Amino acid sequence: MRWVALAVALPLAALAQAPQACRALYRQGKLAEARECNTRLAKSEDPFLRAQGLWGIRDYQGANAAFREAALARPADPGVKVLWGRMYLEHFQPADAMALFQEALKAKPDYAPALLGMALAASEGYEIRAVELAESALKSDPRLAEARALLARLALEDNDRKRAGDEADKALDSLEALSIRATMDWLDDKGDTEWIARILKIDPAYGEAYSTGARLLVLNRRYDEGIHLYRRALELNPELSDARAELGVQLMRMGGEIEARKQLESCYKKGYRGPAVVNSLRLLDSYKNFETFRTPTTVLRLQKKEAALLRPYFQEQMDRAMAAYEKKYKLKLTKPVQVEVYPDHEDFAVRTMGMPGLGILGVTFGNVVAMDSPSGRKPGDFHWASTLWHELSHVYVLTATNHRVPRWFTEGMAVHEETAASPEWGDRVSPEVIQAIKDRKLLPVAELDRGFIRPSYPAQVIVSYFQAGRICDYVNQRWGFDKLLAMMREFGERKTTPEVVQHQLAMTPDQFDQDFLAWLGQQTKTQVAGFDDWRKGLRGVAEAARAKKWEQVIAEGKAIRDLYPDYVEAGSVYEFLSQAYVAQGDKAKAMSELDRYTHAGGRNPATLKQFAAWQAESGRQREAAQVLARLNLIAPNDEDLHRKLGALLQESGDHAGAAREWQSVVAMKPADTAGANFELAKALQAAGKRDDARDAVLNALEAAPGYKPAQRLLLELDGKE
Amino acid sequence: MAVAAAVGADMKALTLLLAVASLAPATTFYVTVAGLGGEDEFQQRFDNWAKEIDKLVRASKDAQVETLFGPAATKARVEAALRSVSAKAQRDDALVLMLIGHGTFDGYDYRLNLPGPDITAGELSALLDRIPASRQLIVNMTSCSGGSMKAFQGAGRVVVTATKTGTERNATIFARYWVEALRDPAADSDKNETISALEAYRYAEQKTSQFYETQKRLATEHAVLEDTGKGDGVRQPSPQNGQGLAAAQFAVVRMAGAQNISNDPALLNKREELEARIDKLKYEKASLNEGEYRKQLRALLTALAKVQAELDK
Repeated sequence: MRWVALAVALPLAALAQAPQACRALYRQGKLAEARECNTRLAKSEDPFLRAQGLWGIRDYQGANAAFREAALARPADPGVKVLWGRMYLEHFQPADAMALFQEALKAKPDYAPALLGMALAASEGYEIRAVELAESALKSDPRLAEARALLARLALEDNDRKRAGDEADKALDSLEALSIRATMDWLDDKGDTEWIARILKIDPAYGEAYSTGARLLVLNRRYDEGIHLYRRALELNPELSDARAELGVQLMRMGGEIEARKQLESCYKKGYRGPAVVNSLRLLDSYKNFETFRTPTTVLRLQKKEAALLRPYFQEQMDRAMAAYEKKYKLKLTKPVQVEVYPDHEDFAVRTMGMPGLGILGVTFGNVVAMDSPSGRKPGDFHWASTLWHELSHVYVLTATNHRVPRWFTEGMAVHEETAASPEWGDRVSPEVIQAIKDRKLLPVAELDRGFIRPSYPAQVIVSYFQAGRICDYVNQRWGFDKLLAMMREFGERKTTPEVVQHQLAMTPDQFDQDFLAWLGQQTKTQVAGFDDWRKGLRGVAEAARAKKWEQVIAEGKAIRDLYPDYVEAGSVYEFLSQAYVAQGDKAKAMSELDRYTHAGGRNPATLKQFAAWQAESGRQREAAQVLARLNLIAPNDEDLHRKLGALLQESGDHAGAAREWQSVVAMKPADTAGANFELAKALQAAGKRDDARDAVLNALEAAPGYKPAQRLLLELDGKE
Repeated sequence: MAVAAAVGADMKALTLLLAVASLAPATTFYVTVAGLGGEDEFQQRFDNWAKEIDKLVRASKDAQVETLFGPAATKARVEAALRSVSAKAQRDDALVLMLIGHGTFDGYDYRLNLPGPDITAGELSALLDRIPASRQLIVNMTSCSGGSMKAFQGAGRVVVTATKTGTERNATIFARYWVEALRDPAADSDKNETISALEAYRYAEQKTSQFYETQKRLATEHAVLEDTGKGDGVRQPSPQNGQGLAAAQFAVVRMAGAQNISNDPALLNKREELEARIDKLKYEKASLNEGEYRKQLRALLTALAKVQAELDK
């Protein structure tokens, strides 16, 4: 039980005596005595006292029944409901907790403990209303120290150090506020903070102080330090199951799976079975279905079913990206980078659980990258290579800064690197972003972290990624990449965003915001100004296409296409125009539209395959192969793609490339094993790999012994020998 | 899938002698019916599939083809087509009935939706029973087609349905891949230049499953095959479940050159002996180390290739 300094006014002072006594023992670090006290309390005839005792010994079922009885006995007492809700909050049931706090507020409007409970529940999900609710609680009861401490924590999560300090200082008689102060020191690399001594003087077993610090360090991507503090928390109080669970989760994130399992299983056995524990254990169990490939610099973990197919493509991109970043960032990593690829999005989601503002496709924890497999989403939904480069950029930026970098900067660099790798990669300017620019919703650079941690509107995280990326583009364009490196160095030295902007760019953050917005305005002028016309026009084009009014599609489509050239999602103007030109028998123009679509970053596999087929038909084999090769970085789980690309590459003389593609077909365990192995053998033979070719042709004949062309090839290979 | 494919290959090798004889029946009668689409989009799709099947099977030697689609695909015309086959077919002939479109199943009767009155599986089965051809392949690719399995199955019949039960009601895409199987050389997994019912089924079933998997859609159809005349259809025919033997011997389409059979008995015997040894070696694979297995396999396959080269001279 996480004892809380509740200001619940009980109607009978005597009733409050026993729980307070147990709480006092706990707060003095006398954990065994506190447990005995609670055990006694759990036998009380009064259901409310019994509930608190049972909660104290973590008998949640028993406590729940007793709370229910107490609530029936004292329906007008909001204190019962608030404590009951706090127990739910501890027991991973924030929605149930919220309902009880709301009931308490109905019984007593502006009831500060209920408002605080709601603020705490909202803070678990990084909701922006957590701040408002904590402020309301304080307005109702200015002495409510826990609400003050919560406000301090929320400010610290938003990287608002001043407010965090101010709020904490107003409640320095509470352990929670003192913990915030200690945390601020840890964030500032002051390991031996004086605040800990003050805390331990009050409660020698107050491990929660370290947990608070650990949580904030993890939030700032300082995972190793977070792990260290969780360990300290457990040294002081081994019963802190939430700290143990978090320790397990962070260990798992950092690749320490053996100890992670030990810690998580310990929580599970003690009945602490929240989503983090259960889902993480499930994920650890699923690792038996994965295969790990190691090189001196990389560790690649792929699901067994798709390992043979994906490995060559992932390994190639990892090696390319790391070579590029080593040069750009002037940094050689000392530890291998681990990339984990999850075909089941739910498994990947376990990796990001409890972390706000992280990418929905990939996430980086120190040297460990976890991401969705291309097979985990509908083909064309995302560009996996772009995601991989994005995440690997984090590894370099976090290493270069020793994890002391604001969220906006590391995300900005990662987004910048996507399009630096290829202008066709990276997310395009989305309608949400255009709307945010129109509505002037971009945040000042000094506050940009808030857009990732505690968004104030649904699309703000996406908008913040875009803004951060464009800020890095802008700095790169105006001052050069070395300036980004210099900024990165200063962030690593614990400088704040305003300090770095002032020092490196020689201007105030306000001036920077003005200059950046002016630059961005120029960049997005056409799209922002034409957005409404484009949106209306696209509807008309889509309707005309449905009605097969091709003249209209062409006329209206051409009129709006360049108002928003970045739009390459489903129902893009390029695709409508291409369809219309084909219907009119003008394949050259249709191809021209798809060429635009491709270069604008279009990812629809069917459209790209159609484009490649037309190119091949018109004798442009090399270009066709290039278009299909793009698809390998988008949707490689497609046998037909590899067959076509293999044939095109073989025809154009790229035998090694053809062999890679036929190897992919074989890896997909096709119905035609013999045919695929035969084509692979031909490509290997042409690439001069006779032994490998013989192996492949034997595989073909093993599946179909009477396969005549393969028999001839075998004799030919043997003859050459 | 790999295991099933390998097992299937073994099964095929074991029945090679039978297959050589049975792959060349006197005449194969093809009756293809594309039922009522209900909407233009479906009608066009169903008709196109039927037309493509028509084109593909007409290319086979000794094929007699009747394809019904659009307004012509009435119950009366379907009945007439099957009666016509009854009148012409001999015992050694084969019949392939392919049904495309929407089906319904009310728990008792399966019905193929046709312009005008529908036709039930029971009515179709009664017509099929009168056809003397001893080997029959019924490929019901409609929604709810699983509901027709019991009515169709019988001795000498290979039955394929696009859905496992009559309750899988959504429009199916199995037909798209069945058509593809008949024209894609990749479906010919044993490379004997003949696409058997088992090969076409495996190809279409795999492609259909992949479609739902890659599109991240809940699979609303699960094709099954039954060729023993009893029991339920299975998704993965194999010696373990006893299904697939007759389907492996049933040629649906033959590619060019499939009938070029040498008449040199010594070489043919040698080839069969080598094929049998290869088959035996594959069975023993698990008990051999990989190096030894590959060495023996290479020697046998090389010998077989040389014999085939002699036969082809």
